[in-house]
This record gives sequence, C-alpha cells and structure tokens, in this order.
Amino acid sequence: MSLPRGLKSVLTKAPTDVVILSALRTPITRSYKGGLKDAYPEELLSTVLKATLDANPNLDPKLIEDVAVGVVLNELGGSKAARMALNHTPGFDTSSTSLYTANRACASSLQAITLVASQIKTEMISVGIGAGMESMTRNYGTRAIPVDVWPELKESPVKEARDCVMSMGITSENVAERYNVSREDQDALAVESHARAARAVKEGWFDKEVVPVHTRFQEVDKQGNKVGEEQRVTVTKDDGIREGVTLDKLAKLKPAFKPDGRSTAGNSSQVSDGAAAALLMRRSTATELGLTGQIMGKFVASAVAGCKPDEMGIGPAIAIPKLLNQLGLKSEDVDRWEINEAFASQALYCVRELGLEKELAAGKVNPDGGAIALGHPLGATGARMVSTLMHGLQRTGGEVGVVSMCIGTGMGMAGVFVRE
Amino acid sequence: MASLLEARTPGFNPYSVKYSPYYDSRLAVASSSNYGIVGNGRLFILGLGPQGIAIEKTYDTNDAQYDLAWSEINENQCAVACGDGSIKLFDLNVPEFPVMNFHEHKRETFSVCWNPLTKDTFLSSSWDGTVKIWSPTRPASLKTLPVGNCTYSASFSPHNPSLISCVSSDSHLRLFDLRTPVNAKYHLVAQIPIHSPPSIPQSTILPRLSNGTTYAGAIPNEALTHDWNKYSDTVIATGGVDRTIRTFDIRNPTGGPTAVLLGHEFAVRKLQWSPHARDVLASAGYDMTVRVWSDGSAMPFPQEENVIRVGQELGLMNRHTEFCTGVDWCLFGTGGWVASVGWDERVLVWDAHTLLRR
Repeated sequence: MSLPRGLKSVLTKAPTDVVILSALRTPITRSYKGGLKDAYPEELLSTVLKATLDANPNLDPKLIEDVAVGVVLNELGGSKAARMALNHTPGFDTSSTSLYTANRACASSLQAITLVASQIKTEMISVGIGAGMESMTRNYGTRAIPVDVWPELKESPVKEARDCVMSMGITSENVAERYNVSREDQDALAVESHARAARAVKEGWFDKEVVPVHTRFQEVDKQGNKVGEEQRVTVTKDDGIREGVTLDKLAKLKPAFKPDGRSTAGNSSQVSDGAAAALLMRRSTATELGLTGQIMGKFVASAVAGCKPDEMGIGPAIAIPKLLNQLGLKSEDVDRWEINEAFASQALYCVRELGLEKELAAGKVNPDGGAIALGHPLGATGARMVSTLMHGLQRTGGEVGVVSMCIGTGMGMAGVFVRE
Repeated sequence: MASLLEARTPGFNPYSVKYSPYYDSRLAVASSSNYGIVGNGRLFILGLGPQGIAIEKTYDTNDAQYDLAWSEINENQCAVACGDGSIKLFDLNVPEFPVMNFHEHKRETFSVCWNPLTKDTFLSSSWDGTVKIWSPTRPASLKTLPVGNCTYSASFSPHNPSLISCVSSDSHLRLFDLRTPVNAKYHLVAQIPIHSPPSIPQSTILPRLSNGTTYAGAIPNEALTHDWNKYSDTVIATGGVDRTIRTFDIRNPTGGPTAVLLGHEFAVRKLQWSPHARDVLASAGYDMTVRVWSDGSAMPFPQEENVIRVGQELGLMNRHTEFCTGVDWCLFGTGGWVASVGWDERVLVWDAHTLLRR
C-alpha cells in the first residue's frame, strides 16, 4: 500500500482507491446567536447522516459498516450521543453499522475521514462515513482548556508540556510577532474571507453541499431571557458571513487576547455550530454496486506533523510540505487549497511560508472564504472543508485539492483529495 | 559602507558577475536589455583601478545573456550563456565578435561553468533540460547529459574533474560522474530531493532544526542556483524559489540538508561559497539583498539525533535597488572582496568584512 508518487500516479484510477460519493454539511452558524444555537451536535450529525443516505439512494444503508465522527468538546467524547443519533436516524441498521468518535482537536473530522479511508485501504471495511459534529454553543464553556488535569503538568519543567494549555489566541499572537504578520495584513485577509464567502452564498455555490436543518430556535434578549415561544425553524444558510465588512470597520476592533495584540474578533475564526459527513468506499465496491456514476473524487493521503505548541498555527506549513513531498506533488499540481483560517495570523504565515501568495491572490487558496467568515466548529471543520473542496473542484473543474489545518497543542494535518 | 565601488551598465540589466581567475582587477558582467525578456545582451569587461571601476570592453549579442564563465586556460577568454540557446566565446584581443559560437541548446542557456581542474572543457545548462559539455576548440558538444526539465545551474566539482552537478525546476540536485559507464542513466549517480525532509528508514518522522522548529522541507519547487564548497569535497549548497538555502552532503543523498540558512524574503538567485573560508557563503536574492552566511560548520554543534543545523547570517548588503542576480568572491587579496550585480543596472564591489564587523 505504498503512496503514489508524482501527479500522474496520483491521478491514476485504481480499484483499490478510496472514493468519495458524497460530501455534505449543515449550514455553519454562529454560536450563542446563530440559527443552530439551540440544536444539539448529535442532532446536526443525524441531519447530515440522513442527508448522506438521501444523496445515495441506490446504496443499501446496511452496507455502511462503520462511521467515524470527529468531535472535540462533547461530554464522553461524544461517542454515546453520536451512536444514539446514528441509531435514531431512519435508514441505518444498528447491527450493520458501527460508530466511533475521533478527537484530533481542530483536525478531528479530517482525521475521521482518514481513519475510515485507512479502514477501507486495509480491507477492514468496504464502505464507511467520515463525519464531524460540534456545538460550541453547548460545549465551549471550558474554552477547550481541561479543568481536572494532572497538576504537575501545569508546572512541568518542559515548556512544550505547559504550553499545551496556552490560549489559542496567545499562540496566534506568537505567530504574528515571530513571523511579522501585521494587523493590517490580517484584517485584509479577514475582509477577503468575508467577501469570498458572501459571493459564494450569493451565487449559490454552497447549495449543493449544504443540507437544511429543521430544529428549534428560542429568541432571547440581551440578558438571556426568553422572548416569546420556542419556534420551529429550518436553517438553510451559513450565518457568520458579514457582507460588506470593510478594513475600516475591522481596524476599529480591539485586540482580543492581549492589549497590544494583533488578533481581534474580526480576524480570528468564529465560534460556531455545525456538522458534516462524507461517504467513502473502495472503488471496486462502487463498481460492483453500480455506483460509479456517483463518484465525486477520491481520498489520496493525509499527513500529520508536530510543532511547538506555543506557535501551533504554523502546523499547515509543516504538514503540507511533508505530505506533498511524500506524494511528489508541486504547488502547480494543486488546483485548490483549503487552509483553515483559525487565525488570520497563522493562515497568512502559512500561505507565505508555503509560497502560495500568488495562489491566494488568484483565488486558489480558500476561494470561497474560510473559517474567519464561515466559522470553525472544531470537530466538524475538517469534513466541512472537504465538502467545500470537493464541490468547489466540481464547479470549477480542477482536479487536485489540499485540505489543511493547524491543531491546538502543536500539530498540523493535511489531506490530498482528487476530484473525478 | 565606505569601501563600496560602483559601476553602471546603462540600458542593460545584469544577470551574472565573475572575477577573472587571472587578475584581481578584472571583472566580467553578463547582462540583458529589458530585464532579459526581449532584446540584446551585452558583456561588460570591467577593470578595477585607483579611479574606481572602468568599463574596458563590451561585447554585444543578439539575445539576452544569462551567465558567463572565464576560461581557465586563456586569461583573455570568456564564455557567455545566451538566450537563443547559444554559448559564445569572446577573446578580449578580438573586438566585437565571438571567436567561437556553440549552438546546440534548443532553449535559453542559463549557466556556464569552466572545468577548474583539467581546464580543457566547460559545460552549459539550459531550459531544454540538458547539460552539455564542450571543448573550447570544437564547435559540437562532447557530451550531453539529460536532466529532463529546465536546468538553471550546472557546475563542475572543484575537487574532481569528472563530477558534475546541476539543479533544476523539478527541485532536485543531480550528480553525474563521467567515470561511470554510459548506461541507461547517462552517468547520473545521485539525485537529491532538495525540498524533502530527510528520509529515515521505515519512518516518516520529521527532524527538528537547531532553533527548535520542526523541519518538513518545503513543497517541491524550482531550484535556481547551487555551488560546491571549495574546501569540503562533498558539500553543496542550493538555493531557489522557496527562499531557503540548504547545504547537502552528497555522500548521503536521502539524508536531507545538513544545514538550513533562513533569512531571504524572496527567491535566492545566486549563491557562491567563499574561496577563503570553509563555512562562509554569499547569496544574492530577489529581495534585493546580498547576504553573507556561515553554514555553522565551524561552530560547535551538539551531535543530537535528527537535528538539522540552522546557519547564521553574518551580514546583509542592501545597497541594490532591484533584484540581485549575481554575486562572486574575489580570489585574491585579503579575502573578503565581493562583486554583486542587480537589475538596477549596477555592479557593486565591496568588502564583506565591513558587514561581518557589525
């Protein structure tokens, strides 16, 4: 099971390929205020799993052997809630389909997709779903910092151990300071992210990847008191995008993490709610089942790499070269890059370090915006980016796509996908 | 910087500068009009005197000039790499026209290098994806080494007349040994992936740099320049689009770089090891700077497993006002004189010691 080397062999179709038949997501909405604030993460998962079955009507759901769900903040790692949601979703057969959750922080659902792909590659299973879910409204009370942790670790003589609980905002400031990413450049990226995402919504470019969520919504006033009755709502659109945001407006925002800092609420990713899922199977299985017409593309490979926790944002600048060197791909070979905008500081640093400034300007990096505009529902982000990547490549006609993100505690992950 | 001499190349944007191996007062500059995109080329022969730098002779060509190499056997001769794929040999005693024209490359010739040991051959590299070896007395090439993609820089080893190296747009450093039989690989003996992290058997673990960051190499991209260390016969430095200078030990082709030099803000266009110190090199870049570095090999280094040395920037020369394209060390004198050229139509001659003292 060696990796392909070079563009030609990456693009070559083989019966052992892990192909993607659907890649869907819920709208990504603002935590505490947005349309999905009252939804449960497992409710969002159930919605996107149901939509995955609906999108593959010719696939017998019994053939789906395993589901991996990326989730970061849920109680018990989300495993019971996600399993309940799967069993609850009409169509799934409890005895045929298993489920587990995976937590690699911000890369959890890219990890989930990678795990399912690995299970398919090693012939553990033939068909599976890689998914992700997160409600930061419900589960972000700890700010993702562990409460009851071995006290000696907080006093560890090893800086890299102590730094793992550093606030993500401070890691962003570290990247900005160490690598000279100015406030102006960060704000400019934020403006661009919102403008691109707003254009994508206006043109309907997300319509094929977004599935509506029918849920409840309780209006509240500023003090958090309920206003009126809880309502039934159908959420169909991302609601974090601010159309018409300008540099001037962003420049007025105060630094969010330290008094003289450069990261603000406007140039950092949003706290969000959402879920996403991709259906994967071996190509030979797709052929046997007569589903080749449904194939959107394939998973090629992914890589992880570690870095210093106090500058975790540089992760993509390490993971992407590692993976592309393994595959023998150059940046010209890549048609679309989805590099998570956890913070404008780290996203810009990575783009510069990877030599992708021209690609960013030309709209090949995050062409439909990133997490600054769309939001970053931790456990769902990887699968969200895969769905945006696959549908984006289908629309514009490119072939090779890269998804990458930085990961708290000092890691980066990258995945290479091919559209067919 | 007090000790800075300057000459202008009006109307022509320099691409390369070389000190004469015979005279400490003679320099040659290969240049092109319109930044080498279209138009003529001009070779400037410069003399250093008490009055500064004087233009002694010029030779025009119909196409851009990208590189030059002084002959090692005839102090008056100089080979020039031209944009039409030709290499022209000029003799300073013959005005106006070249004494020889070597035209086999099908695309731009980007580099020329004279064999410093046997002195009877020179080589050229080209966008047509080949390296060719020539005798100055024969119009047809002696040998063609296929590379397969645009080859920006090729060089003879200064330690072994049979060893040839080149870097190209596919991000590889290739080594050819003419003593090996011409088998299917045309003398190719090693192919070093410049941008890959070290390949550790049975593992994909990434090493650390000595400054603590993880080293993952870079996305494979174009390598533009390289040079052999003048003292260590197995050490080569490379530079290119990814702004990073790396040194490699050719005995360990898959071991990744032995040192990484970080600082250039844009692509590195030319680098040259010092003829006077084993750990010092100069580089010229598109960030309009020329930098002088130590690869750190002269400093103590804890021999930790899987840690790559980060070299040290010793000084930065920022007097050019356009892309810096060429840099060369003077072989003579106290050792430290450097000539640099840039698209600002200027040749600057300066003493690197003035940078180092800061």
